[in-house]
Amino acid sequence: MSQADLSIPFRRRAGRAMEDAFLQEALTIATTKFIGLRREAFDAFPEGEGLRDRAREIKEATLQHLDRYLEQLIGNVERFGGRVHFATTAAEARAVILEIGRRAGARMAVKSKSMATEEIHLNEALEEAGIVPVETDLGEYIIQLAHERPSHIIAPAIHKTKGQIADLFGKELKRTVPADPEALTQLARGELREKFLQADLGITGANFAVADTGTVVLVTNEGNGRMVTSLPRVHVAVMGVEKVVPSMSDLMVFLAILAKSATGQKLSVYTTLVQGPRRAGELEGPEEFHLVLLDNGRVDQLAGPLREALYCLRCGACLNVCPVYRQIGGHAYGHTYPGPIGILLTAMLNGPASVKELAHASSLCGACADACPVRIDIPRMLIELRRQVDEKRIAPWIERVVFESFGWLLARPLLYGLAGRIARVLQRPFVRDGAIRSLPLFGDWTRTRDLPAVASRTFRERWNELERETPR
Amino acid sequence: MTTRAEFMARIRAELGKTRGLPPATPARRPARPRVEAEAIRAELAERWPEALERFRHELEKVGGVFYRVATLAEVVPVVAGIARERAARRLVSWHAAELGGDLGPALTAQGLEPVAMPPGEVASAAERQRLRELVAAAELGLTGVDLAIAETGTLVLSSGAGRPRSTSLLPPYHIALFDRTALVESLAQAGVFLELWHADGAPGPRGAVISFITGPSRTADIELTLTRGVHGPKEVHAIFVEAPIRG
Repeated sequence: MSQADLSIPFRRRAGRAMEDAFLQEALTIATTKFIGLRREAFDAFPEGEGLRDRAREIKEATLQHLDRYLEQLIGNVERFGGRVHFATTAAEARAVILEIGRRAGARMAVKSKSMATEEIHLNEALEEAGIVPVETDLGEYIIQLAHERPSHIIAPAIHKTKGQIADLFGKELKRTVPADPEALTQLARGELREKFLQADLGITGANFAVADTGTVVLVTNEGNGRMVTSLPRVHVAVMGVEKVVPSMSDLMVFLAILAKSATGQKLSVYTTLVQGPRRAGELEGPEEFHLVLLDNGRVDQLAGPLREALYCLRCGACLNVCPVYRQIGGHAYGHTYPGPIGILLTAMLNGPASVKELAHASSLCGACADACPVRIDIPRMLIELRRQVDEKRIAPWIERVVFESFGWLLARPLLYGLAGRIARVLQRPFVRDGAIRSLPLFGDWTRTRDLPAVASRTFRERWNELERETPR
Repeated sequence: MTTRAEFMARIRAELGKTRGLPPATPARRPARPRVEAEAIRAELAERWPEALERFRHELEKVGGVFYRVATLAEVVPVVAGIARERAARRLVSWHAAELGGDLGPALTAQGLEPVAMPPGEVASAAERQRLRELVAAAELGLTGVDLAIAETGTLVLSSGAGRPRSTSLLPPYHIALFDRTALVESLAQAGVFLELWHADGAPGPRGAVISFITGPSRTADIELTLTRGVHGPKEVHAIFVEAPIRG
C-alpha cells in the first residue's frame, strides 16, 4: 500500500493494509523488535521510571509558563545572531521558509528528518518554488524517492523491502543496484554526501530548544543533522512551540529517556546542540540561522482538551505497542502523524472532524499510555475526541441511533431485562458455538469479530437465584 | 505574517484560560555550577578508574574502539596502526593548541599525511573552500574531547576556532583523544558542565555547536539491518591518555 487516499473510508484503508502480506510481516518484526529494545533499555535503567515522572512534570511546568520560556528563547537566539519567525498556520510557515530560501538564492535544500516539516507539507512547496528538497535521513530519502510519506515516526521506511529499495535507487541512479542493505546504505552515503556539500539551505526540525541558552537540539543516529547544520550557508530550524525546555538541566532529563523509548539506545548517536550561526573563528557553520516557531493548532490546546498531547516527544513508542498500529501500519491513518498519539495530533492540527473515524481506531487498551515516556494519557483524550465527534453530530447517524437507543435502554432496568429475553430468542438462528458469527445489517462488525451471544441465563437472573439460595 | 507581539499575545490569552493545573516545577539547576563542577572533578580525581572502565564498556557496546596510552607521544603509533590497517594516509586534525600537542611531524614520520586546521578565523572564502575539500577527502579525523560520559560511552566535542565540526564528521574514521579531566560519570554530571559553560548568559564554550557523539554513525532504516557509517564516521576510536593533555 503506498499513499493513503483520504477519499477512501478508513475501514477500507485499514483493510487493504491487513491484506498486504509483506506489510504485515514488516510491521510485526519492526514493532516487536522496538518493544523488546525499549523494555531492555528501561529494565537496565532503574532510575528511568523516576525520570519519566520528572520529564512529565517538566513538560507541564514549561507549558504553564510557555510565554515566558518562549520570550527567553527568542531573546537568546537573537542575542547570538539568529532570527526568529512566527507562523500561526502551516501556510505561513511555508511562506516564511520559502522567503528565506529565495533571499539566499537557494536551488537545493538538504533536510534532516523532521515531522514538523512533514506536517506543513514543506517539500511540495519547495519544489514549486524551484528549490529541490533532498531528504537526507536514509529512511526519508527512500520514501522521498518513492513519493510516499513516512509510515512510522522514527522508522519512516519500515514498510519497504530491500528489493523495493534497490529498484528505487536503481531508477534514481540509472543502473542496477544490489538488494543489500550495506551496499544500499553506502550508495546513499555517496549520493547524499555530494548534496550536503552543494546545498545552500539546510532545513531541520528541533527535538528540543533550550530557553536559557537559545540552543536548538537535534537528535539523530546517522549524522545528517550535523551535516545539515554545519555545511550549508543558511540553516532553518522549524519547531512546534511546545518543544521549548527551560534549561540544560531539563534537557538532560529528556535525553536520558528519549532514545531508550524510541530505539532502546542509551543515547542516540548524535545529539547536536546548535546555538545560532557560525561563531567568529569557526571554519564552518551557517552564516544565517533562522528559527521558525510553529503554532498550527497547538496554541488552541494550551487550554484545550488535547493539552496533554503537547508533552509528546515524538519517540514512536506508542505506535509500536498499539494493537491497531501493529495491524495497519502508518499509512492507513492517512495523516502525517500515525498511531495513537497521531490521532490526537491530527485532531490538534486539523480539528476533531478530521478524526471522526480515527477516534475509534483504538481499543483503548492503554498500552500507549504505559509506553509513553512522559505518560501521556492517550486513551482519556481519545474518549474525549469520541465525545466531541458525537456531540458535533459528526458520527454516522446509524451509530448515533444505536448508541442513543442503547443508552436509553440501559437506564430502564425492566425494559433492559425484557430486551435481553427477546434477544435470547431472536439470536437463535445466528448463534454457533456460543457466539454470533455473522449478523445481517451488522456485517461490518461480524466480518472480523464475533459478537458474544446473550447468555442463556443473564447475570441478573443468576444473582437473584444465588440470593434466594444463600442462607443469611 | 504574524508578528512576535501577535503570536505571543495569543499564547498569553490561551494560558489565561487555564485553571486547575497540577503544580509543576522544572528540573533542579545547579545554584553555583562552578562549585558543583569542581566537586565533580574532585570526586573523580579519586574515582576516575571506575568511570573510565564504565566508559570503555559502554563505548564498546555502541561499536566504538577504546585504547589507553601513557603519554601523548604514544598516541602516534596507535593512530599510525589504525591508518595502516585501513590503508589510509590522509589525516585532518584539530589545531595543535586544541589537541594538546603537535603530533604532525611524528605522524608524518609514520608515513601519514596530516593537516592541522588553522587556529582562528580564515577570512578568504577560497581558502575556506580549499580546507573543506581537504577535510571531505580525508580518511582520518583526529580531535580532542571536552567531556567523556561514562554512563553512555559518549564523547562531547564543542566546535570553535581550531576545532572545526567537520573533522569529527566527514572522514570515515574518527579518532578522539582525551584524558581524565574530561571524564564524567553521568548525563546529569554532563548537565552541570553544560550549565557551567553557559552560566550568566555566556555564549557556549567556544563555537556555536556542541556535539554529543555516542559511537559510529548508524542506521537501521533498511529492513532494520544495522549499518554503520551512513553519513558520519563508520568507526570511532577513543584514545585515553594517562598524562594530562589539556590545561
